[in-house]
Formats: sequence, C-alpha cells, structure tokens
Amino acid sequence: MSPSMALSSDVFRAYAGMLAGLLIAGGLLIALLRWGLHRDVSHAWQSYTSWLVMVPLVVLAIFAGRVPVIVLFSLLAVFAFKEYARATGLYRDWLMTGAVYLGILATACVSAMYDPNLHVPGWYGLFAILPAYVISAILLIPIVRNRAQGQLQAIALAILGFLYIGWMFGHLAFLANAKEAYGYLLYLIFSVEINDIAAYTFGKLFGRHPLRSNISPKKTWEGSLGALAVSMALPWALRFSFPHFTTLELILTGLIVGITGQFGDLSMSVIKRDLGVKDMGALIRGHGGILDRVDSLIYVTPLFFHMVRWFHGLY
Amino acid sequence: MTIEPWSYDTSEDLDKTLVERLRGFPREPDLLVYSARLMAATMIRAWLRVYHRLQVTGRENLPRDGSFVLVANHCSHLDALTILSAMPLHKLHRVFPAAAQDFFFVSVPRVAIAAVVVNALPFNRQANIRQSLSLCRQLLDNPGNVLLLFPEGTRSTTGELGEFKPGIGLMLAGTRVPIVPCYLDGTYRAWPKGSCFPRPRQVRLVIGRARTYERLGRGKDSALEISRDLREAVLALACVSPASHCEPRL
Repeated sequence: MSPSMALSSDVFRAYAGMLAGLLIAGGLLIALLRWGLHRDVSHAWQSYTSWLVMVPLVVLAIFAGRVPVIVLFSLLAVFAFKEYARATGLYRDWLMTGAVYLGILATACVSAMYDPNLHVPGWYGLFAILPAYVISAILLIPIVRNRAQGQLQAIALAILGFLYIGWMFGHLAFLANAKEAYGYLLYLIFSVEINDIAAYTFGKLFGRHPLRSNISPKKTWEGSLGALAVSMALPWALRFSFPHFTTLELILTGLIVGITGQFGDLSMSVIKRDLGVKDMGALIRGHGGILDRVDSLIYVTPLFFHMVRWFHGLY
Repeated sequence: MTIEPWSYDTSEDLDKTLVERLRGFPREPDLLVYSARLMAATMIRAWLRVYHRLQVTGRENLPRDGSFVLVANHCSHLDALTILSAMPLHKLHRVFPAAAQDFFFVSVPRVAIAAVVVNALPFNRQANIRQSLSLCRQLLDNPGNVLLLFPEGTRSTTGELGEFKPGIGLMLAGTRVPIVPCYLDGTYRAWPKGSCFPRPRQVRLVIGRARTYERLGRGKDSALEISRDLREAVLALACVSPASHCEPRL
C-alpha cells in the first residue's frame, strides 16, 4: 500500500468516488429535508458532520499506506479502550490500564514490522500468540502488588479490554498487510457501516418484534433481517473488491457481516446495559463514543480476516 | 442460579467530550493525559535548563508531606512552567497552578495547554471569585496537593511587583496550610507580556521558607494582613536573587 498504488488501484478509486458521492448525496438529502420539507434535522446534521470527518480520515489513511493505516486503527483502539476503561472504572487502576495500552502498542508494532523468517509485512506468528504474553503480564500485576482483594474484577476487565478492543480490533490494522488490502479494508468498513444503517432503517420502518428486549429494546427482528438481506447482497454488488472470491466465499462474507456485525452491536449493548450507561463516550458528535461506532467492526473483523486467510492466505 | 453482579465505578464525566472534560475541574485521572504531561514536563525542564540556564535556590524549603500553597510574583507565562520544573516529577500531577479562566480556558488550544501541560485549575477572576477560592480550599483538603497562586492576579507589564489581592488571605486565614513564598527573576526579560517568543535570558527561582496563618481569624483585616505579609516575603527573596531586574515597587 502506498499513495501511488492507491491511485493506480481501481478498487481504491471506486470506493473513494462512491464514498464522496454518498457524502454529497447525504448532504443534499439533509438540505432537502431542512429547507424543502422544513423538518428538524439537527440530530441528522450532527451525525452527518461526524461522517464528514470520519470518512475522509479513513480514506486518507488507506491512501497514505500500510503504516498510516496501522497507526490510525491502533490509535482508535487506544481511545476505544480508554472509553471502556472509563466506563467500567478500570481507569482508576493505572497498572492494569497501562498494561493494556502497552499490549495495544505491541499489537501495532507486530502488525507494522516484517516477519523475520518469511520477510513479509506483519509478523503474524507473534500477532497470533500476543494475547498469551499480554495476559501473562496482566496476571503478574497483582502478584507484584501482593494484593488479592478486588483483583479478579480488574484482571477480567483488563483481559477483556485487551482481547476485544486491542487484539480482535487489531486484526483490522493487520489486514493492511494483505495483498488485496484495499478491497478487504474498504469493503469491510463500508459493509459493516451499511449493515448498521440498514438495521436502523429497516427497524425504524418495519420494526414490530423486539430482537433482544433485555439487551437493546429498540432493536427488532425486522431491522435485523433487513440488514442481513442487504449484507447478503453487498458482496455481489461490490464484487470488484475481491474478484478472486468464489460463491461460497461471497456467501460467507455476507453472513459474517450480516449476522456477526449485529452480534458485535449486541455485545456492546450487553456491556453498556450492565454498566448502566447509554453511550461509551461522547467523542463523535451524534454517534457517541468510538466504541459505539466500531462495535460491529470489532466482532466482524477477526472472522473475516481468518476466512480470507483460510481460503487465500494474506499475501 | 446466577453469580452476584459486580459493582462498577464508572467515570462521572463519561458523557462529556474531551474538551469539556479538560475544561472542567476537578478532572478525573487519565493515564494518557498524565503520560503527555510527563513528556511535556521533561521537554520543558530541558528547555529551561539549556535555553534559560534555570537556577533554583531553596528547594529544601518545599514541605515534604501534606498540602501546601506556593505564591510568587508574576511577569510572564514562563513563571508557572519554571515553578513546575522545580517540583519533583512524581508530584507533577498533584501541582495545580491557578490560571485565569477567561484567558486559558476559552479556546481549544489554550485549554489543551492549560489542562494537559500545566494541570491548571480554572480560576474565575471576574465573577464567582468566592466559588473559585472554595475550589482551591477543597483542593488543599486532599493531602499531597499543591496549589500555585500568583496573587497579583495578572502578569506585570513592567516587571515590577504589583499589589497582592486579598483572596489568598481570605482562603488561608486560620488554617494550618503552609504557604511557600517564591521569587522569580529573569522571566520578565525572557518572555514579557505581549512578546511572541521567549528570549534566551537566564531565569532564577528562589524558594523561601514556609509560613502559616493559623493564629489569624477569618475576616477582611486578616486577609489584607496576609496578602501584605506574603508580598513582603516575596520581596525579601528578591534580595537573595543576585541579579534581580524585577525592581520591586515597595
């Protein structure tokens, strides 16, 4: 990945054009609702202005190359973990929080460096076993402190924080090392966001039956099935992203995004409901925190990553 | 059968944006902010030692335990940075310079510098002065916290020592909180008010002996007496500094 490769990549240019078109269309739609139909669009406008920042940021990082992508997604993981630590109260335990930050930094370094044996970008062997080292470091903290009271909760929160937000989300950064990185990254991010939007839209239009009433009362079966239908169609609609995929792989891609994307959303809802908070943060206007935006992506990415690795390898 | 739920100690400012959190006070502990502050402090210390040949006298006068207040003359933005550089690094996050809310907590870059680099306490000097003083008092109730005040209320435009406002007296009369007078020399020549960049002039800091005003009762007279006494203490330190150019007005 490099700026010159991005410019010569049909996949990158197609997504850049498509995203620019969608942003312009979204702006025009809001303008029509505001001035044509005199509707209150304040919330939609807030959300839209955040998209105006997020989309160019991601596209620019992908345009800039492999290392900028790894830096951007690792920084997102750091700030997403910070939200999690603040919401769970783990942030008061500096050593545990610091150990997870270092774990995320290590994940980023391992993703950015070259494999010393295979001489390919990204040291996958170390990346795969990194959780063992980070969990060992986290378990060492109470021993060094000579303290047991309350440590199980801190250990559990730190390990979940690293595994889920640092390592599982870290697969997205590692994907920048793949030969077909443009297609994989852009499709994954685009399709997961479309899946989220489709679930919301179908739920709003046709939603009658609650999906998981004790976890997220507003989510409905209608929204969920609508999103799955859209996600199943997307791999064919955007087949240029991965022309080497077989029909089975296209079906699997659709299922992974359509089903597990919603599992990611619901998993974060479980955490938020147990904590008693509405959003995990307030960094992104109209969206909540980073975790509220990337919750589906965290769940989907490792599954898509390992499907691709199983069928085609990364390089 | 289910296990007992855990109790979570969620941050109280979870629903606030980063800028809102930095603007507020007291701020929740934040490892990333602390790391950034530590890095900035290391660079600022190196800058002051090399570019301004910083010389600190009387470090042994700083109380080892408990909370205390530092008061100093104020001629430059370098003043707070110089005093912060004289404090041990492990105390960095417990030292709170009181900074004008109407200047330092307005725009985002200034908020970032004031809250992240300086760890400033927003002091409202135009309205709600009593509320700001009460905030300072609460801060000192927590053992180990250090409050840095510039009782002149603003930077001197001439380099001369102005009158001390009585607020500090109102806050500390009848308390056991030690107050440490400090004298800053050279910061006016190095970076006066209105100048864009600091000049390579030497900066000296003299730290005096701590004093308390436990014997004085609360009231306006005590407040005036304390501010007068502290001003004299700071002036007395000017004589200790060999090359004073601050030319204090008596």
